[in-house]
Amino acid sequence: MTAVPSLSMTGISKAFPGVRALDGVDFECLPGEVHAICGENGAGKSTLMKILGGSYRPDAGTIHLAGKTVQFTHPRQAAEAGIATIHQELSLLPHRTVADNIFMGREIARHGILDKAAMRERAAALLDRIGAQIDPQALVSSLSIALQQLVEIAKALLLDARILVMDEPTAALDERDSRTLLNLVDGLRGEGVSIVYISHRMPEVTAIADRITILKDGQKIWTRPRDAAPISEIVRAMVGRDLKDFYPSPPASAPGEVLVAITGGTNSGLQDITFDVRAGEIVGVAGLEDSGKGALAQALVGDVPFTGGTVALRGRSIDLRTPRQATAAGIGYLPGDRKREGLALRQSVRDNALLTLRSMTGIFTRPQRGALASAVIDERLRAMDVRAANFGQEIGTLSGGNQQKAIIVRWLAQASDILVFVEPTRGIDIAAKAAIYDTMRRFADAGRGIVVISSDMPELIGIADRVLVMHQGRLSGAVPRGASEEDIMHLALGLAEARHEESGA
Amino acid sequence: MTTDVVKPKPGLSVAVLLAGLSIGFFVVVALATGETAQLSGQGVTGLLQRMVALGLVAIGQTFVILVGSIDLSVAALISAVAVLASHIMQGDAAMMLPAVLLCLGLCIAVGFVNGALVAYGGINPLIATLGTGLVIQGVLAASFGALQGSVAREFQVVAYGGVLGVPYSLLLLASLSIAAGLVLDRTLFGARIYAVGGNPDGARLAGIRTERVILFAHMVASLFAGAAGLYLAARLQSGTPWIGRDGIYDLESIAVTVIGGTILAGGKGGVAGTLAGVLLFASLDAGFNMLGIDAFLKQVLRGAIVIAAVAVHAVRARGHVA
Repeated sequence: MTAVPSLSMTGISKAFPGVRALDGVDFECLPGEVHAICGENGAGKSTLMKILGGSYRPDAGTIHLAGKTVQFTHPRQAAEAGIATIHQELSLLPHRTVADNIFMGREIARHGILDKAAMRERAAALLDRIGAQIDPQALVSSLSIALQQLVEIAKALLLDARILVMDEPTAALDERDSRTLLNLVDGLRGEGVSIVYISHRMPEVTAIADRITILKDGQKIWTRPRDAAPISEIVRAMVGRDLKDFYPSPPASAPGEVLVAITGGTNSGLQDITFDVRAGEIVGVAGLEDSGKGALAQALVGDVPFTGGTVALRGRSIDLRTPRQATAAGIGYLPGDRKREGLALRQSVRDNALLTLRSMTGIFTRPQRGALASAVIDERLRAMDVRAANFGQEIGTLSGGNQQKAIIVRWLAQASDILVFVEPTRGIDIAAKAAIYDTMRRFADAGRGIVVISSDMPELIGIADRVLVMHQGRLSGAVPRGASEEDIMHLALGLAEARHEESGA
Repeated sequence: MTTDVVKPKPGLSVAVLLAGLSIGFFVVVALATGETAQLSGQGVTGLLQRMVALGLVAIGQTFVILVGSIDLSVAALISAVAVLASHIMQGDAAMMLPAVLLCLGLCIAVGFVNGALVAYGGINPLIATLGTGLVIQGVLAASFGALQGSVAREFQVVAYGGVLGVPYSLLLLASLSIAAGLVLDRTLFGARIYAVGGNPDGARLAGIRTERVILFAHMVASLFAGAAGLYLAARLQSGTPWIGRDGIYDLESIAVTVIGGTILAGGKGGVAGTLAGVLLFASLDAGFNMLGIDAFLKQVLRGAIVIAAVAVHAVRARGHVA
């Protein structure tokens, strides 16, 4: 190493009650370097970054910035030392303007009086620098998630940060926006910024990182330059298994009867949606962020229903006006934002698994009867391999993978025929991902159907039997199993309207 | 309030709409009942004067609600300040300044306790401020016998005096409103209030000392409640331990703040909306009086209007998201 690392952390340890989150971890980052950290959930990545950001104090170990020892007790000190963190969960003020948000906590003011004009100008300049076409006066709530992410980055740049920590910055972004973001990261590297990049998306990591560090169970496995770290090695180091048995094998038999058929489905965000889902089939839905794939999920589960067109279940026409009707019809929903839409975080694993069953049953049903009995649901949870000390534990304390499995149990208990998954593995580590894919496959193989809506293209290609692609609220086409990312991208960008290979009845 | 802002200000449009509705209602009722005297300068001044006490409390309440907290102790504090002011003055003009200073000191202390309980103690603000309110109310009721007195005649000028036909009390409300509006819109403190109320975790990560902002917001709320207490003492000549409670200033200040478009979760809203909410209450009161509506029915109608106003906000918010 010739240059002095702008950041060097040595022997960092941190324990929480019952967990050794970090155990003697060393990490460094040079000026103008992108250093990626990979690891399963719970490997200690976020803890390490929270220590760097001043949110946690390490039990042992030292942090040097450009050779100088520092100790942080409040995030403010880290920020003043030139460390900016772009958090996994957005930390914006929805009802305030973009400029207000960029300057949150660092407003330009003289004697306590804000200089709004100066802030508008600086904000515009910053947004310009990152190539974002955003009006500094716009309200944040009016921006898409992708644009909000860019506002977060502008916020970090305001500090003139020498060290930029990006924790899963593309988790909420689709393919196109992710690329824009990676270009931006590349530009910042050129300006000499040290970037610590945390991501679950392997192609991104290998595309952008100069060096890669693997954490597992709070310990560093290795740090290698990118060229010495092919994806297969990274995955093996993270989970101790190879990538090829990551996705379940495709079904042996062809799909069966049509379970659900949508014809001409239309609402304010969707136009003329026609497709069907057959027994034993996993249908993927791809699309860029505003393509309407989220609206499709909401329509299928009756949250924001179709206003035109018909839905037929096993050939019988049905109404899908409310989530209750959808549930009664056997359609289950596994939302992308589990914390907000899927779980009662403060209630037990068992209560969460019973939620739908209890909602659909009569109000005077005895609570411990039949399928509602604790013993019965516990059995199902065990069968799904939901890992908790006991099922009376608050579900919020479980990992994302186990939470997702508990939601799957919920719908299995309801005997749903069709599950609608949205971003099924967002924020879930690789080992749990494989288990969830496996469960999805087994669910379909039992003669039921799955619609999976995802921004993670390798995931769709790996798991789905065919992939429907959306563009501007319409289905722009469909590709069979084995198609390439490029095929899907073509349709998602609306470049191949003519190339319909199949689009249902 | 200001015209040099280019950006759309949702708070302002709510305020203008509400104020328009209130004035419209007042004018229509006055014309319909033939009470045209109500539309004269004097009548309008009377209407605006109805706003003073509730307006002062509500501005303070707006600060705490914006920061994501709430203050239920204001009613008790108003009573305490009114009682204390009249007890210290005992009709002596020389004691005016000490009385006012002492009352404001009490407010700062109460605000500090409220803010500390909420921000540093992590106690739910509903419970914390309900508790301090009960304590104040209890102490007041127990010691009222020893706290008799009346304000100085000169002090009553605050409520009854004026310049060029404009009552001092209105000038007080107007200047404090403008000051509060400027603080929220133009100062660091204001920006931090919106940041902490809008996203406490985000604000902390941005390096804001969120506890301190909450603490100061509570002190502001208590000071405004104190101003209302002083005004009421001047108007009524002597304080009683029940003037705050009888005026339902705790719940009504929350109601008008929410009607004015400040959301209970914090981070959105402002003084203009709150004042419009106060104006709505004042014109409803005046209108109902002109119509001779019975006091109980008046309560029912007010309640219905509070619900309707909040429902309108809910619908508007939904429309905005979609």
